[in-house]
Amino acid sequence: MALAEVEHLTFAYPEAEQPALSDVSLSLEPGEIVAMLGPSGSGKSTFLRALAGLVPHFHGGRFEGRVVVAGMDTRRFRPADLAGAVAMLFQDPENQVVFGRVANEVAFGLENVGTPPDQIWPRAHAALADVGAARLAERRTETLSAGELQRICLAAVLALEPKLLVLDEPTSQLDPEGAAEILDVACELGAAVLVSEQRPALPLERCSRVLFVDEGRITVDATREDALTRLADEYLPREPKSLGDVPGLGEIVCRVEDVTFAYDSRPVLESRSLTLRRGEIVALTGPNGVGKTTLAKVAAGLLEPQSGRAEREGRCCYLSQDPGRYLIKERVEDEAALAVGGDVRRARRALAEVGLTGFEHRHPRDLSSGERERLALASVLVADPDVLILDEPTRGVDPPRKAELAAQLRRDAGRRATLVVTHDLVFAGDVADRVVPLTAKEHIHA
Amino acid sequence: MSPVPAAALLAALAAVALITDRGWVVAAIAIGLLLLCLRAPRGRRRMYLVGTLGSALSVFLLSPLVSQVGTHVIWDGPKIPVVGYLDVTSEEIAAAGIQALRLAAVGLAFAAYALLLDLDRLLQAAGFARRSVLAAGLATRLVPTLERDAAGFTEALRGRGLEVDGLRGRARLLSPLVAGSLERALNLAEAMEARGFGRVGRTRAPSAPWTRLDRLALVAAVLLVLGAIWL
Repeated sequence: MALAEVEHLTFAYPEAEQPALSDVSLSLEPGEIVAMLGPSGSGKSTFLRALAGLVPHFHGGRFEGRVVVAGMDTRRFRPADLAGAVAMLFQDPENQVVFGRVANEVAFGLENVGTPPDQIWPRAHAALADVGAARLAERRTETLSAGELQRICLAAVLALEPKLLVLDEPTSQLDPEGAAEILDVACELGAAVLVSEQRPALPLERCSRVLFVDEGRITVDATREDALTRLADEYLPREPKSLGDVPGLGEIVCRVEDVTFAYDSRPVLESRSLTLRRGEIVALTGPNGVGKTTLAKVAAGLLEPQSGRAEREGRCCYLSQDPGRYLIKERVEDEAALAVGGDVRRARRALAEVGLTGFEHRHPRDLSSGERERLALASVLVADPDVLILDEPTRGVDPPRKAELAAQLRRDAGRRATLVVTHDLVFAGDVADRVVPLTAKEHIHA
Repeated sequence: MSPVPAAALLAALAAVALITDRGWVVAAIAIGLLLLCLRAPRGRRRMYLVGTLGSALSVFLLSPLVSQVGTHVIWDGPKIPVVGYLDVTSEEIAAAGIQALRLAAVGLAFAAYALLLDLDRLLQAAGFARRSVLAAGLATRLVPTLERDAAGFTEALRGRGLEVDGLRGRARLLSPLVAGSLERALNLAEAMEARGFGRVGRTRAPSAPWTRLDRLALVAAVLLVLGAIWL
C-alpha cells in the first residue's frame, strides 16, 4: 500500500491568479528516496507543504483533489495531526527554531506528538548524535552557525521517526561534505524521503526516483536512470571545473594583508591574506565556520580587522547571504535605487539585467525567494562597483538561474574585481578565474 | 539553580525594590543585579544594560525639573508655560534618586531574567497556560532577534555604501524590522504546526528535580517580599 497518494491536486494561494499546482497526481511508497527538482517558483515547496497538510490548512487558498498520507486525508486532518507520520524540514533554519537550548528544540516535536516522557530525552539525544551534533545539546541556539542550526532542525524532525520525511532544500547553508552527511543521515532513516534541492548532484546520487516540477506540474516522474536521460543539462550532476590559483594581471583593487579577527574571544581569522585584481573573478571556498564570510566582510570594509590591514580602491559593494536584508523600501525599484541616490533609471536597468523587468512597482516582500535573491543582486550591481563581493549568491537558486548569474558576472568581469564566497563548487568552477580555498588554521596568501 | 526559583527570586527582588522606602536597600538590590547581569556575554547584555541604565538616568535627570516637591531650593530656574517653574530642590533630587534606583532594579531584574535564565526550562516547568508562557518566551527572544535583524539591515546598507547614522537613519529601519518580524512569526507558526504544536495529548519531557538550593531560593523569595511589606 502506498504511503502517500496525491490525486489530481490543484492548488492556488489566496488572491493568486495562477494555481501553484495543477492536476498533480503521484504515489510514494514506504522507504522510497525521491529527488524533486525544478526551477524556483515551480511549485516544489507548495507540493511539499501539501504533503505536510500545511497546504491548505495554514496557507488557505483554493484546494482541489485529494492528498492522503499514512492513511490520513489532509483535508480532514490538520498538520499537527499529521506530525509524526510526516516531518518537514524547511529551507531557512532561523525561521523554525522555537527554543533557546538545542536539546529542548529537538524535544519540542516529541512532546507535541505525545511521546512517552521517559523516551523523549533518549530520542532527542540519539537524533542529535545521528546528525553529528551531540556536542551541541546544551548550546544556546542563537550561538550556532547557520550550518549547525540546519543540523539541529534536521535532528528535530528525525527524532520524530516519521514515515515520510519531507526536506525543502535542507542543505542550502551547508558545505558539500556537510550536505552529503545530512542527506546520508536522512536517507538511512528507513522512512520515505522526498527532497527538494537546487544542488541536484547530491540527491541524484542517493535517490531511486526523480520528479521534475515545472509551472505547477510534474513533467518528469521517472527512475533515476531514466531521469538522467531526460533532464536538462543544467540539472545533471557534473564535476566542478578545476581552477588554478594564478592571480590576474589587472591592477590591485583590494588587498587584505595578515588580518586577524575574533568574535568576542573566539578567533575566526588568523593571519589571512587576499588580493583581488580588476578583471578577475575569485572564488573563496571552504567548509562551514572556517571564516569565509568574515574574510569577505573584512575585504569589503564591513569589519575592521583586529590586526593587519585591508585596503580597497574605488567603490566596494557586498552582497549579504540573506536576501531578506534587501527589503527596506516599499517598491522594488526604490530598493534597487538606494545605492545610487534614488536614480530610478539606473535601478530599472539593473533590475532588467537580473530579469526583474515588470516587477518595479511591486512591494519587495511580495517577491518569491528566488526573486528576492535577484533583487538583492540588482541592489548591489546597480552601483557598478570596482570591487564586488558576493556571499553565497547561489543559495536557493535554481540551476538555470545559476548559469545566468555566472554568465552575467563573466560578462561584466572586466570592469571590476569580483569575489564570490560559495559552497557550490560547480558554480565556482563555472564563474571564477581562480579559487582561494580557505582551510582551518592555515595561512593563505592568494 | 532551577529557573523557577531563580525567576521567583528575581521577581521578589524587583518587588522589594518597588515596596521599600529605604534607599540603601534599593541601591543594594540594583548593584547586586547589575553585577549579576555582568555575568552575561558582553554582546547580549549591552542592549539591556544601556536601555535600563539610560532610562534610570533619564528619570534622575528629568523628574526634579517637572516635580514640585520640597522647600530646600538648590537651583531656581525660569518659568516654562504648561510645565511651571523649573526649580530643583534637595527633596526632589532625593526622590528622583530613589525612583531611578527602583527603575534600574526592576529593569535589571528583567535583564537578568532574559539574559541568564534558561527560559526553555521555565517553559517546561509551566504546567498550565503553556501557550501563554511559550508566547512570553518567544517575546523575550524577540529583543535579540530584532537586534540581529537591525544589524543585518545596517550591514546590507553599508555593503551598498550607505551609512546608517543618527536617529533618522535608524528610524528608517523600523518599518522593515516590524515587517520582518511579522514574516518570521508566520514562518515560525507554520514550522511549529508542522511539528505538532497544538495537538491534543502532548506530553512533557522530564525535568531535573529541585535541589536544596532551589527550595532555599523559593523560601528566600517569599521571605523577602513579606519582609519588605512588614518592615
